[in-house]
Amino acid sequence: MLICEDISFDIDGQKLFSNINLNIKPQKDLLITGPSGVGKTTLLSILCGIQKPTTGKITYNSIDLYNLPENKIDEFRGINLGVVFQNFNLINTFTVKQNLEIAVGAIDTKKSIPFFNILDRVGLANKSHIKVANLSIGEKQRLAVARAFVGDPKWVFCDEPTSSLDDKNADIIANLIKDESLRCKASLVLITHDNRIQSLIKFSKILKLGD
Amino acid sequence: MIVGITIITVSILVNQVTKETFSKNNPGLDAVVGAKGSPLQLILSSIHHIDIPTGNISYQNARKIIKHPAIKSAIPISLGDNFQNFRIVGTNKTFLKLYKANLISGTTWSQPMQAVIGYNVSKITKLKINKFFVGSHGLIDTGDVHAEQPYKVVGVLKKTGTILDNLILTSLDSVWNLHSVTNKDKLEITSLLLKYKNKTSSFSFPRLINKGTNMQAASPSFEISKLLKLTGNAHRIVDYLSVLIIILSFLGILFTLLNNINERKYDLAVLRTLGFSRWKLFSIILSEGMIISILGSTIGLIFGYIIYESMYYFSIVGRSLELGQLNFLNDLFLIWIIVNIIAFITCLVPCLKVYKQNIRSTLLNS
Repeated sequence: MLICEDISFDIDGQKLFSNINLNIKPQKDLLITGPSGVGKTTLLSILCGIQKPTTGKITYNSIDLYNLPENKIDEFRGINLGVVFQNFNLINTFTVKQNLEIAVGAIDTKKSIPFFNILDRVGLANKSHIKVANLSIGEKQRLAVARAFVGDPKWVFCDEPTSSLDDKNADIIANLIKDESLRCKASLVLITHDNRIQSLIKFSKILKLGD
Repeated sequence: MIVGITIITVSILVNQVTKETFSKNNPGLDAVVGAKGSPLQLILSSIHHIDIPTGNISYQNARKIIKHPAIKSAIPISLGDNFQNFRIVGTNKTFLKLYKANLISGTTWSQPMQAVIGYNVSKITKLKINKFFVGSHGLIDTGDVHAEQPYKVVGVLKKTGTILDNLILTSLDSVWNLHSVTNKDKLEITSLLLKYKNKTSSFSFPRLINKGTNMQAASPSFEISKLLKLTGNAHRIVDYLSVLIIILSFLGILFTLLNNINERKYDLAVLRTLGFSRWKLFSIILSEGMIISILGSTIGLIFGYIIYESMYYFSIVGRSLELGQLNFLNDLFLIWIIVNIIAFITCLVPCLKVYKQNIRSTLLNS
């Protein structure tokens, strides 16, 4: 279970947001919406252990995330969390397959990873040896989703996964995220200001930032 | 890095082996008496066999020196010919005792034109017991041979690790016969290798020879230490140069890593988001730097050793300088360790930069 208590974040002494309390049960989904600039991406960074909040506490199954040593936070993120970043954060000089391999390399798993199956599910099986720099936006987004789910995470965070896509690609990505979450039995936290997403995925909870 | 380590390796090897070889080639001789000229040349030609002699001296005068009360032992040597660049030395059997030489096979000479050959001579020229060979005039093979009077090999010496391995020894009579010297009053030798009864003679005896005769007495230890001091200065300059090259290579590693990190800071931040810890990235960058350093220093050592071995193998000078024991490997290993320790410290700078990287701001700025 993911519990956030009294999360607040200040930038240069100005409150970006405060008193955010969340409680996400296993395999439940949360949608965080709100206009641009309210701190959605910052909140996602905080939930993922990338950005320490100004105040508050985040616990994953009773593990206080920011009470862990920094190295352990990175390891915890690699093993338990999958993140789809707004700008993908893929390594452009690597091939499609290498981007998945490096993600698996980070978690030191002894499981054999069926890369072909994963790429097949996201429709990139025939592009495994192509460099990321040569992929289209939609393909990069699909690869980012594949990478987030490659280690079978327990919690998945997606930041604006459909905002830059046309309706067709947005539909593909939303379905991919939904299917992969179900396959991994992961809780999904999705951040977006894209209204189309609610018609594509049914969320158990919705948090509106900036209200 | 490779160039610096190669130069310093060659310098150390040449320096150490030269010192060691000079010391091994002199089995406790106190002085060499020979014709007037350069004392260093006399020592190099008579003991180390890497220079031409200063001339000849009368054997009659030499015999007077042998009988001098200050002299414990005196060995006459006569140079002038070679076989395939290996010097033929006319001497007496005390020369063998001086170097504690033992025979692998055969015996020592018992009459003129019999020869005992050193270990390397036998190995390189393939001469064996009962084989004949003809000497060439001079100390370098010119093709002008004494065809009418061949030597017969009667003995082969065990390896001594000294200059003896590269010499062909025969009696003084052989050399005199070969050069048709029959008048006993006109017999000549190249030099006389001396040991004093008492070390205090090392001051008075040379003065006696140098002022009272047309010969000179030179001290091997004094002349060689003078030579090593001169060559030592040249070695030091080479060493400073190689240290400078190594320092530049450290800076090269540092700036290469810093540049790589700057170019890859986004990728490194992405790796952090995927679960690579700070320490993991720290160790990856450190490994990259240390692989460059370890490979560079090891290849440099190997290249240096290969260059040194080639110098040793292909030069005539090298052939007469015998490779000493490998105790200088400790020095090379020490240099290898020091270079890699400094490289390790150098690599910590970019590693700390990676360790302190703020992933969120890096990703946002990218």
